[in-house]
Parts: sequence; C-alpha cells; structure tokens
Amino acid sequence: MKRRTAIKNMMIFAGGIYLLPSCSGDPAKASIELTNIDVSSGQESLLAEIAETIIPRTNGAPGAKEMNLHLFTMKMVDDCHSGDEQQKFVAALRVMEKEKLFIGLESAQRKEFIEELLEDKKAPEELRIMMKITKQRVIQGFTNSKFAMTDLKQYELVPGRYNGYFPVENV
Amino acid sequence: MPNLNTDSIKDRTFDAIVIGSGISGGWSAKELTERGLKTLLLERGRDVQHIRDYPTTSKMPYEFDHRMEVPLAIKEEAPIVSKCYAFREDTMHFFVKDKEHPYIQEKPFDWIRGYQVGGKSLTWARQTQRWSDFDFEGPKRDGFAVDWPIRYDDLAPWYSHVEKFAGIVGNRDGLPELPDGEFLPAFPLNAVEDYFREQVKLKYPGRHVISTRMAHLSQPQPIHLEQGRGQCQMRTLCQRGCPYGGYFSSNASTIPWAQKTGNLTLRPFSVVHSILYDEQKGRATGVKVIDTNSKEEIEFFAKIIFVNASAINTNLILLNSQSNRFPEGLGNDSGVLGRYIAFHHYGGEVKARYEGPLDKYRTDGRKPGYGYVPRFRNLHKQEMNFLRGYAAGFVASRNFYSDTGDIGEPLKENLVHRKLSPWNVNSFMMGETIPKKESQVTLDKEMKDDWGIPQLRISVDFDENDRRMLEDYFEQYSEMFSAAGFKDIMASKREGAPGLDIHEMGGVRMGHDPKTSMLNKWNQIHACKNVFVTDGACMTSTSTQNPSLTYMAFSARAADYAVKEMKKGNI
Repeated sequence: MKRRTAIKNMMIFAGGIYLLPSCSGDPAKASIELTNIDVSSGQESLLAEIAETIIPRTNGAPGAKEMNLHLFTMKMVDDCHSGDEQQKFVAALRVMEKEKLFIGLESAQRKEFIEELLEDKKAPEELRIMMKITKQRVIQGFTNSKFAMTDLKQYELVPGRYNGYFPVENV
Repeated sequence: MPNLNTDSIKDRTFDAIVIGSGISGGWSAKELTERGLKTLLLERGRDVQHIRDYPTTSKMPYEFDHRMEVPLAIKEEAPIVSKCYAFREDTMHFFVKDKEHPYIQEKPFDWIRGYQVGGKSLTWARQTQRWSDFDFEGPKRDGFAVDWPIRYDDLAPWYSHVEKFAGIVGNRDGLPELPDGEFLPAFPLNAVEDYFREQVKLKYPGRHVISTRMAHLSQPQPIHLEQGRGQCQMRTLCQRGCPYGGYFSSNASTIPWAQKTGNLTLRPFSVVHSILYDEQKGRATGVKVIDTNSKEEIEFFAKIIFVNASAINTNLILLNSQSNRFPEGLGNDSGVLGRYIAFHHYGGEVKARYEGPLDKYRTDGRKPGYGYVPRFRNLHKQEMNFLRGYAAGFVASRNFYSDTGDIGEPLKENLVHRKLSPWNVNSFMMGETIPKKESQVTLDKEMKDDWGIPQLRISVDFDENDRRMLEDYFEQYSEMFSAAGFKDIMASKREGAPGLDIHEMGGVRMGHDPKTSMLNKWNQIHACKNVFVTDGACMTSTSTQNPSLTYMAFSARAADYAVKEMKKGNI
C-alpha cells in the first residue's frame, strides 16, 4: 500500500529531525508575524495543504486554506503552546517539507497519511504532535469562524431571548 | 513635595472621602453625594467609563486573535489570576496580573483583583441574595466568631433601597432562609431545571430549587432608564462590560449617578497609603495618597472617610495607618484587625445527565441565570458533624456539538450540521467557612510594592470543617441527583486555593464589643468614629450568599447614618 510507503519514509527520516539545519539558505518567511516559531513560506504552504485536507472546500462552503485556518494554527502555536510543542511542530513541518512527505501525495493519500499519523502511536512523536495540534486548531478555527458563526448562524452575539422549553425539531 | 499653601489645602479638602470605586465604594459615593456631601472617590487603578472603555464588548469570538484563549506567556507570568474562570482574552484587561501587584502567600491563596474604576463590579457574577436571621444569628447560635451587632430587620429596608436602584431579578419564593426582595421578573428555569425543582420539592421537604436572583434588568423601570441603562439582552458576555447597562456595575450605575449630583470628584491612579489620624482631635483627618503615575505623595482631607478598598486591601490600609494612638493599625485596640478572615468554599461540583421525556425540549437563546438551592444543612438547628452549611447553583443545559473523530469531508459535514447533546446537569457548592483567629493578613516588615506600601502576607487555609462539609455536599447532591433519576453522576473537587471563589471577607469585623471587634453596628470604627468600613472586610461571618448585595446595603445604610451624625455634630 502506498500509505505504508509514505509512513515508512517518514520513519526513516524521523530520527534525523533535529539534525536538520533550521534554515538552508534564506527561505522566504511566513506571511504573518511570528514571535516564537520560525516557519518559512514553503512550510506555511505545506500547512495550508494539511489544513485543507482536514477541512476541504466543498460545495458552496469554504475550506481551511481559504479561511486561513493554517495561519490561525501558526498563530496559536506561536502564542498558546509550550516551547516543547512549538519545537516539535516546527521540526515536523521542516522534515515533511524537505522530504516531500505530504506534498507529493494525491489527495486521497494525503487524507490517509494524516489519519495514519493520528492513529499510529508508533509514528514519530514530532509528526504526531504536529498533526494533533493542527487538527485541533483547524477545527477550533472553523467553529469560531465568521463562516460558521455568522453564515451558518451557529452563534448569536445578541440573542435577546431565552426559551427553556424549545421543541426539538424532528422529534 | 506636597504643596502646603492654604489654597492647595482647600482644594484638597472634601466633606467625604471614599476609598475604592468598586461595588461598595460606588454605593458609598452615590449615597453621600446625593445627601449633598462634596465627595472624593479615590481609585488606585485607571478610569473605566461606561461603554467607552469596554473595548471588547461587541466583538465576535473570531475577532479575537486567540479566539478568547489567554496566550501562554500571560498565563505563565500570571498563574494565579489565570485560574479564574472569568479571566479570558476578552476580559483580561479588567484583572490584575500577578506580577503587577505581588503579595506573600504564607499559605496558598488565589487573590483575584480588579484595579480600575468600577473594580470587580465589572466582572462579578451578579448573584444577589439577601441574608436572613438564620445567617446573622449563626455565630451566636453556633459559638464561633462574635455575635453580629445587627439582625435582618436592621438591613431589610436597605436591601430594598439598593435592590430598587440596582435592579434585581427574582421570584417571590417565600423562603424564610432567603428573604424575598424588590424583584424584577426572574429569568425562567428551563425544562430540566424545573424538573429538578419539582423532584426536590416532592422528595426533599425543606429543600428548594429557585431561580437565581441577579442584578440584571429583565424589565427596566423608570429609575433604571434614568441611569441610562436598558434591558438585558441575554448576551451573557457580562464580564466585558455591558453596552446596554443590562447588569449592575459601579460604572453603569452608581458612579455616573453620583457625578450627576455635581458633588463627586473621581480620582483614578490614586492608591491610598494610609489614613491620617489627628491625636489632638481624636479623629481621622484625611488620607495619604500616592499618585501611581508620578509617585507623588498627596494628602486629602475630609470629615468622614469610607473605606471600600475591597476586603483584603481595606485590611492593608488600616494596618498601614499607624500612629502613636494606634501603633498596630487604625482602630486596632482589640488586636483583631487583619484576623478572622474567611471566604466561601466553592470546592466541589456534581455533574450528571438527564434522560427522559424532556429530551423533546432544548433551549433557545441564552440566559444569565440558573437554579439556586439555598442552604438547608444545619438551618434550624445544628445537626451535622460540621458547622453551618452550603448553598448550591444548579444548571441544566443542552448544547450543540460535533463529532470530530474524522477528517476531510465527513468532519466538515459534522461541523456544519451539529448534533444536540443530551441534557447535562451540574451543581456547584457555595459553602460557609468559619472565621478563625489564625486566618489573617499582616504587613511584611521589609517587602514593599512599587509605591512604598508594605506587601501583604496572607495566611488563610481550608480546615476540617470545610472538608466535612464538602463530603456532605458530594453525598447529598449525588443522592438528590439519583433521586431525580439523573444518570452518570460524577462528583469532583475543584482545584485551587482559598480566594479563587473571590469572596474573601473579614479582618475588620463588626461586633458589639470594641474589645473583640473593629466596627460597631453602623460599620463605624469603634475607636475612630469618622471612619466607616462597608466592604467585605466588615463581615463577621460569611454565610453562603454571594456577598455583594449585602455590601451595597451596608454602604447605603452607613452613609445615611454618617450624614445624620455629621449634621448632629457627633462626627
């Protein structure tokens, strides 16, 4: 199975994650200002693809990339996660970018790749943690987005009412 | 250097000084200015003007960089305030960060503070229940602390007075242990809250589930409109400051009201170092203030002084007001100043799930209130292996949620089309604690804050009585939930030290006897009659009710008395 190959590749390179130089040459920076983590423009694009795989564009509804949920994920990792998680997050992005572990896959394989990482406790820790954080933050970004809250009417700033006996629809 | 010419002294002289602009100080200022007294209202923090200074009030969650989560760097730098349930990205500008104002914890104490005009009245939980004589008679009946020098009848008209102005929702429940007040229509209980109310009524005579009494305008009256306040819009974003003035705060209500009289001078950035005492005159003459920006020392003078700095800081100011006459702190002949501190014990919760015919209902919209179960333990007589008892909140809720197991299109589908959760029920304990001599605050002999004021040492802890009470709460609510047919009942302790309930009280307690208390029945210092303490520091015991309403009533009552005494020439 191709999925197995991808994971196997990951395992091979995982051991060398921390040995990779933090930057080779002077790659373009991320599009948002970050204080604690160093993410290149290429890694940002990679994260956008991962986010889009988690929440893809569907009929009439924007996907994670369009909603900038990858940028939100970077912002949250930068400001709300521990130094240890930040390091692992960045290290994982770096190895995935360098070894084209994700970007070279077809869209169906991408999904399998992420699922495998989230389920397989033997997968490299950095990759598992990065994927767990990314999934959590992408979902948070989606449910707290203007699209979900306003367009889908999932949140009202000023309800102005309360009914404690509201009939449940379709019961 | 203070300017000592006469004009300057005149400019710095008022009829009354109120220290602190939070919930009690706002009331003191309102009542004093309404009675014609030129009043200086001192606030150690910055100004917060109603609406203008509520920067987050109308923001959607997605307009916050971190979707209302507090960034890690702030949490790590301020671990104490970060434990507070109300400290979020949208509210954190109304809370003191640990580092800004350090104190010494002899025992762990989570001191939650709000240093700004309006104090914690901006961020409070807005629960307002009256005390009854079951509470005021507690210390005497059960033999702890000292007897309260007042009873319910002394305070009842003042409860009415403040309730009418503040706007309190509630039902007339007819419970002697929780006297009815001047109520606006209550927020209704929902289907499962009502169900629990009926179950408890049926199966537990003497126990009651009522709708919370809260400082919200469910139906504003002319007096509220006159304050510029409008109807509560059920946003439940109260701690950001309410643009409608839908809940009571000093900022929306008492301070602008006092300003309208033309008698108020509000001075932010003014931390009080000490109260000045004149040995010849045998009275307090004013206060020494440090301007927190310029660090300049300024003295202000007045005939009467109200101390409303919040319970623990009021203790600090009095302890630091030392003179030949009062070397151990102003009015402290008895040695009780700073002692007998107590708090509310919010140490546990019991959760469960409802399953049954009411599943055909959910809720729509939001409401600030929920259910409230007044104290039933040891109410009429001592009956348990612990003193006093606990009230509890009761919340039933049903939320939308999404299954987030998948990724890709199925995940998105789940996020877009959410599921309705079962009814979850939750109760949380609000226990009375016993004030003890060893529960105290003192001044550190060396450490000072940025303004040269000694740092406080806090030594307050839970005790065996609290532990027994918590066990009983767990047992009783697990049993009551079980009797109501709730499933998956789970009791859990809440982590955190005393203080996190934000109901610290005492240290400057009221009592009959100057040998064992600081204040008389008018909240007046026994040994220095022109100084009044009407915030949480005055509390002889804590009972279980959220305390702010009682501080408001004390403030209004004491202000009325002080002005009458002034006019008689007694102070």
